[in-house]
Amino acid sequence: MQDEALRIEDLHLTYRGLSGTAFSKPGAFGFFKTTKNDGDNELISGANLSLKRGETLCIGGPSGQGKSALLRVIAGLARPCSGRVFYFGEYIPPERLTALEVAKRQVGLVFQNGALISNLRVRDNIALPLRYHKKGSAAEIEEKINMAMDLMRVRDCANMFPHQLSVGMQKRVAIARSWAMDPMLLLMDEPTAGLDNYNRRNLLPLIDNMRTLFKTSIIIITHDLMMAKELGCNLCFLYRKTLTEPHSFDYWLNANNDISKVLFRDLRNSG
Amino acid sequence: MENVEERVGSAKLTLVGKLFHHLGMFFMTRTLGQQVCLFFRAIASIFSKTRSFKTDSRNVILQTFFTGVEIFPILFIVATLFGAVVIVEVMTLMGKMGFDDVVGSLVVVVIIRELGPILTAFLIAGRSGSSLTTYVGSMVINSEVDALATMGVDPIRYLVMPGLIGGSIATLIMTIFFSGSAIGAGFLITKAAIILSGNALNLQLTWDYLSNEILKALTTMDFVLIIIKPLVFGCIITINACYQALDIAHDVRQVPKATSRSVIKSFLYIVCADVVLSLFYFVDYMNNLSNII
Repeated sequence: MQDEALRIEDLHLTYRGLSGTAFSKPGAFGFFKTTKNDGDNELISGANLSLKRGETLCIGGPSGQGKSALLRVIAGLARPCSGRVFYFGEYIPPERLTALEVAKRQVGLVFQNGALISNLRVRDNIALPLRYHKKGSAAEIEEKINMAMDLMRVRDCANMFPHQLSVGMQKRVAIARSWAMDPMLLLMDEPTAGLDNYNRRNLLPLIDNMRTLFKTSIIIITHDLMMAKELGCNLCFLYRKTLTEPHSFDYWLNANNDISKVLFRDLRNSG
Repeated sequence: MENVEERVGSAKLTLVGKLFHHLGMFFMTRTLGQQVCLFFRAIASIFSKTRSFKTDSRNVILQTFFTGVEIFPILFIVATLFGAVVIVEVMTLMGKMGFDDVVGSLVVVVIIRELGPILTAFLIAGRSGSSLTTYVGSMVINSEVDALATMGVDPIRYLVMPGLIGGSIATLIMTIFFSGSAIGAGFLITKAAIILSGNALNLQLTWDYLSNEILKALTTMDFVLIIIKPLVFGCIITINACYQALDIAHDVRQVPKATSRSVIKSFLYIVCADVVLSLFYFVDYMNNLSNII
């Protein structure tokens, strides 16, 4: 399966797997701490997902169902208590499943709050991973930063600090930062929340471009279900601890099941 | 911990194997063991493939400045007053008891060997260690550390390593400054006190006398340990500070707790390490003793 970007098999995640950053602990240590499955404490039980290269997938669902947690698991920040995750057909065993290991496989994550480094200017924030990984000469990096800033329309505030920006601007900078890394798989947590309509409409073609030009696979967590329709991508829902099969927007709109009734009621009524 | 037992069972470990496994697990589940691991990982990260001397040296120099230079005024005042007190006490007490020849040794023991490094380390732990914990801890809370990791930037290399090296270098420099200013400026303060009080202390203190006595009392061991001690203390302070910060779960209330833990535990570890390092002096002393006998 060469064209496969991500496959999740029977993923179980408990609340305990979420807590804390593991950077203070030795790398292999979390491997011994996996708890046994118990149904009550589980946030996600038995999720299966498969994503092709260049495919976009929106994940929706009511809030508090663990959508962001699922994204953290994929990014390697949270540790599932069982289940296997394959990145581009490659399986990472649990004792090596850390965020750094996942990031080596060109997986990018855009956080819900942007998570910009607060003591660096916008320009340096975008440049930080490029300079760290020595992606090209200084001039090339500079060119890349400018391109990323132009794409997300944050060129005007290149020399500002993150606290001087609004939430929406921070998010755009965060997306620019992830874009500059040329990710093969991009995970976006609520990219359109906090953006105005104008910027939202600008973001969608950008996502579309990444998909068609760079063959980037994108997973978008969103409450904005219209986005799936505009991008023409599949939607799946995290509902009652399981991940549903991906289907098109129209399927969900007309389907006769719980999820459709709850989440698509307004969209149906408005036509 | 049931899983561990299962895994051990499945791996069919012998008794000795089990013993070492449990020893390793015991070590790894303790704070101290994890801190030692963090130290080695920070050292290992210096030699990672993506290292760039320019960025690293800039971060290290920034950290050294932050740890060292900004603390200097307070450190200087503490050292000066402390040195003056020690010199006055030693001169008056020893002179009264007729041990004029051990003045230099006592100044060396008190200032250069013991309290110089320890007081410097305490000051740096209280100021730079706590601020390092708050800085890294806030980054953890704002999920900036997570963001760094998802970008492939190793937080240990980006945050801990500059702190470790910069902190150690700054502690070394500051300890030398401390000892220097305690003896030099402390001498001047003592002189001033003698002049102002019209020699009420009844001291015959000259720079020639003091420096000769001190130089006579210094041994090779002192020169070795004046370098080793601050480096060890600096490592302890920064690793402890970074460990406490990275250990914070996502809860803002943990940041002040981690900060106070960082400072108090640094004090504890510093004193313990000092005792261990002082064993070298005991060995030295025992060797000399056997020579005399």
